[in-house]
Amino acid sequence: MTLSTPLLWVVFPIIMAGVCALFYRRKVLSLALAGLTALVLAVLGAFFPADLTLSIGPLTMVFSENLGILGRQISLSYEILPFLAFIYTLTSLWILSSALASVPTTFRPVSLVITALLTAAVGVEPFLYAALLIETVVLISIPILSPLSIPTRPGILRYLSLQTLAMPFLLLAGWLLTGVETLPPNSPLIGQTMLVLGLGFALLLGIFPFHSWVPMVSQHAHPVVMSFLMFILPTTILMFALNFLDRYTFLRESENIYQVLQFLGTTMIVSGGAWTAFEKDLKRAFGFSALTETGFSLLAIGLSQTGGLHWLMLLLPARALGFLLWGYTLTLIDDLAGSLQSQAIQGFAHRYPILSTGLLLAQLSIAGLPLLASFPTKIALLTAIFSPDSNYGVWVFLGSLGLFFFTIRLIAILVTPEDAENPIIWTVSEKPIEYVPIVIMVIALIILGLFPHIFPSGMMNILTSFSQLQ
Amino acid sequence: MTATSTIAFVLIVLTAMMILVFRDWRINAIALGVQYLAVFGLVTLSWPIGMAVVKLIVGWMATAAIALTCIRQLKVESPAESTSSLFFRAIAGILIILVIFVLSPRLQAAMFPQVELVIIQGGLMLIGMALMQLGTSSEAYLTIISLLSLLAGFEIIHAALELSTLLTGLLVITNLGLALVGVFFIVKASDKNEIPEAEELQ
Repeated sequence: MTLSTPLLWVVFPIIMAGVCALFYRRKVLSLALAGLTALVLAVLGAFFPADLTLSIGPLTMVFSENLGILGRQISLSYEILPFLAFIYTLTSLWILSSALASVPTTFRPVSLVITALLTAAVGVEPFLYAALLIETVVLISIPILSPLSIPTRPGILRYLSLQTLAMPFLLLAGWLLTGVETLPPNSPLIGQTMLVLGLGFALLLGIFPFHSWVPMVSQHAHPVVMSFLMFILPTTILMFALNFLDRYTFLRESENIYQVLQFLGTTMIVSGGAWTAFEKDLKRAFGFSALTETGFSLLAIGLSQTGGLHWLMLLLPARALGFLLWGYTLTLIDDLAGSLQSQAIQGFAHRYPILSTGLLLAQLSIAGLPLLASFPTKIALLTAIFSPDSNYGVWVFLGSLGLFFFTIRLIAILVTPEDAENPIIWTVSEKPIEYVPIVIMVIALIILGLFPHIFPSGMMNILTSFSQLQ
Repeated sequence: MTATSTIAFVLIVLTAMMILVFRDWRINAIALGVQYLAVFGLVTLSWPIGMAVVKLIVGWMATAAIALTCIRQLKVESPAESTSSLFFRAIAGILIILVIFVLSPRLQAAMFPQVELVIIQGGLMLIGMALMQLGTSSEAYLTIISLLSLLAGFEIIHAALELSTLLTGLLVITNLGLALVGVFFIVKASDKNEIPEAEELQ
């Protein structure tokens, strides 16, 4: 059998997920299987030799970058391996966080399959077929977002409907794009193609006005599951979108597309920020903040002519760590307090100060507080958006304040005792196994904030796979 | 327009209207099964029968999975509906039919000049009715049936544009995956119905 990179990063994790699913009731075994698989693939992605030849002792394995399936192929070149290392590293961390008792047992194998399918989506040729792989991911994610034990809510149906609606648009856009390149720039078909493509991506990314499912699903889904999906789905879909921009000259050279992206990004940041600021449910607030983050990604792509893609690459690790910590702390707080409504966690910080600090720092990091991970990129994006249009800059700044405002409200709730006449004494009630991961993640957030180029230096290599966009 | 395509188109309009108007799973399952036969009829205009039959088999498999789960799980009869709600949905369906008859020739001229009008009308009819159903219903199994109809409508048009084995295979996975998600939702809904009965026994 000829070895290929898609066999290693797509087929192998799916097989391992199947094995892991067989032992889904044996927590430690399934955790070890899924976590190690993701970690090994991450390490391989980070250190794979450029000639795709792997030597282990006397054994030498030569990998090809293509895998043919039914006349089409999945191609994972050396340039895309840093991205695979990145998403598999984060998948392994999320799998580790699924050790928490309340996380659905199916999360471990399903998360591995999701990452493998999204890897295939990044590499499939013709790349418009990725729409079908993303749809498969959406279908697979349903049982972990809405497990058998909880009733089916309207949010999950809306998520399924809107994501499924995206697929026909993208396939149609793919067909339209085959003939568009030879057309003159003023052909009406170019505008139609851009509209169809834009609608497909707007549905996939939950861009306004197709965003309503995000807070609805977030409210009832498990925080670890939701944070994982809100990181991995938009990240991979954005890579898929960059493929389109890189491949088609008329898209890349269109001035309008960057202006539209800046406008949509600003709209998402403002609307997400405003909803977050006044939200009372911590899970819904996470959903709205995820929308704001999608807005920042769009803004970064909209500013790609002035280096926006570099900031996007720097933003992704900071966002991933922030979401991971946010999902992890929300899960623990939900388990301990029984609810994530603001009235249920009043005075919570008195008993669980480390947990509360972890949650607040995760939010502040995503919001872009100085010294934390997202700050260097958020400030760079804010500065960049002020130069072409100061109106956008003001709105982005105001939108960014939403999560700060929510966090300040949350601090007040967490430290105000339920009974003001009988204040609770501050105690550390967390167990070391609960707070050690939080402390490690907080340290990582601070290191990323102080030295933004240390960890994500490999992230910049991802841009080499988009040769036309640099 | 051949006799086959005319019959297929009429069947698509009738079954899409039945799915939109009625809420009884038995009627919807039968209509969905017949709808896939009509979809097969329209796809044969673009694809060889050997490939087109994949759509029919997959559609019937999806319908069977949903119908068999409904037989097993939905013990409670479908709630009786008021005549006014049936009337409202029927009027909405007729409006969609009219809109699609008006829009199809323009869409054909602007985007798909090489595709037969009946294919565009059949595909858009299913997409339009499915979107209306998605907008007027919050029941899980109706959502799944609507999404299956929507995909079937899209597949009719897309079959006239492209023939790819991998794409057909991936669409099979998507359709069957949607049906499985539908089964999952129906099982969940009936499990929830059974919880109070179990509590009563204790």
